[in-house]
Amino acid sequence: MIHFKNVSKVYPTGSKALDDVTLDISKGEFVFIVGPSGAGKSTFLKLIMREEEATSGEISVNGYNLVNIKKRKIPYLRRTMGIVFQDFRLIDKISVFDNVAFAMRAIGVSEKSVRKRVEYILALVGLSEKSARKPSELSGGEQQRVSLARALVNNPELIIADEPTGNIDPELSYEIMELLVEINKRGTTVIIVTHEHNLVNEFGGRIIKINNGKIVGDYIREVEQ
Amino acid sequence: MKFRSSGYLIKEGFKNILNNRMMSLASIGVLISCLLITGAAIVTSLNARSFISSIGDENMITVYLDPEMSDIDALKLGAQIDKLDNVRSSEFYSKTKGIEEYKEKLGDELFASMQGDQNPLPHSYKVRLDDFSKYEETVKSLEKIDGVFNISNRSELAGKITKLNQLVTYVGIAAVIILGLVTLFIISNTVKMTMYTRRFEISIMKSVGATNAFVRIPFLVEGMAIGFISGILSSIIMIAIYDPVIQAIRNISYVIYEASIPISEIWPYIALAFLGSGILIGAIGSFISVSKYLKKEGGEILGW
Repeated sequence: MIHFKNVSKVYPTGSKALDDVTLDISKGEFVFIVGPSGAGKSTFLKLIMREEEATSGEISVNGYNLVNIKKRKIPYLRRTMGIVFQDFRLIDKISVFDNVAFAMRAIGVSEKSVRKRVEYILALVGLSEKSARKPSELSGGEQQRVSLARALVNNPELIIADEPTGNIDPELSYEIMELLVEINKRGTTVIIVTHEHNLVNEFGGRIIKINNGKIVGDYIREVEQ
Repeated sequence: MKFRSSGYLIKEGFKNILNNRMMSLASIGVLISCLLITGAAIVTSLNARSFISSIGDENMITVYLDPEMSDIDALKLGAQIDKLDNVRSSEFYSKTKGIEEYKEKLGDELFASMQGDQNPLPHSYKVRLDDFSKYEETVKSLEKIDGVFNISNRSELAGKITKLNQLVTYVGIAAVIILGLVTLFIISNTVKMTMYTRRFEISIMKSVGATNAFVRIPFLVEGMAIGFISGILSSIIMIAIYDPVIQAIRNISYVIYEASIPISEIWPYIALAFLGSGILIGAIGSFISVSKYLKKEGGEILGW
């Protein structure tokens, strides 16, 4: 579902963020992208979301060829994925419910379906009780679960989590990770970008190591659940 | 975009105005000031033009007819004058009346022998024009009428009034353009400030796959609604101020007051212009600034 062939990305400043990367991620995989900061992890994500264009090489994501994708098709590419940000990116003026519903309303889903689906997803991440609260009234872990709920609500084939546990307490990190594992078990591909090795060691899965814009390791770590 | 979204998007636009109360109020305030200043310049220039053309009104052209013309023919000729384009009214001034006036001024004896057929004066018409700046053309048409002998020459005055009229028009247009540019500048800055606080929402909308149209519509509705509100308030303020100002001018100069455009005549135009330009400015302002962010991606929108 994600296919990179000889992909390089050079920024206008001249810095080479990705260097001849070839890689495939199939449906249903649980993947960690690890590496020090500045290794090219963020660029990898931006290319998948088509926030950046590759300088050379072929990329296809969820059936969209990103080399010649039309501008007006980009929103539809993004609807096939849900994104969880390190800084949550929740709108504080509106309730938890509306933050999650935002993603559905933004793609024109009827209000009736929105209500049913958002209630279901908030129950899934354990936040039904807090749906009327404002995000700032919640803990960091809870805010990240709202963000995860928003990523999940449109039932995407792919979840991308960019340092999902970077801004929350370690014990709450496990809750988030367990949710991601649960989501993966239901058939959704999950890609987690992180530099926290203990998470990787604890949960396992496919591990892709990036350093200096190159893939320096790609293996599967089995962990007893 | 799906049709059922449009209701939601319009509702969002109105909700945004309330959610961003301070910014909405600031935008409305700025827009009202700009509309009022520009509107005042336009109204002042319109009144100046109306005053200048009223000077022209006071000046009649005298059209002298052929002295040989019979009374009946002279009276008939009035219809032909009235038919001309720029003629507002014409008044027949018979040669008998003319000689009577001379007699009153200069004494009976001198004109005693000039009664009836002996009257050397021609019949004439006092003609008022609609637009004094078209003096030359109208004189030419008058001269073409059979039986018109001579026309009093007022071309110098007509030229001066026309020039003054043009001057006021140019100064008015220049003032409106300059104020319009200042308005655009202030408004684009206000919108920029408003958008700065909303970049976050735009970046999230884009990341969840909202189309550009979807992101844009609530902002457009918001901009237009702010323009509409500003237009209504500006109209109310302008109409409320206009009459007292005109009344105050009455105390200073009755002539200017008399030539001023009455509020009953001008208010629909004021309201329409304020509403129209308010909505247009609101729409263009939000369209341009949203577009700026729509071109960007992800963290770029947030300036990271």
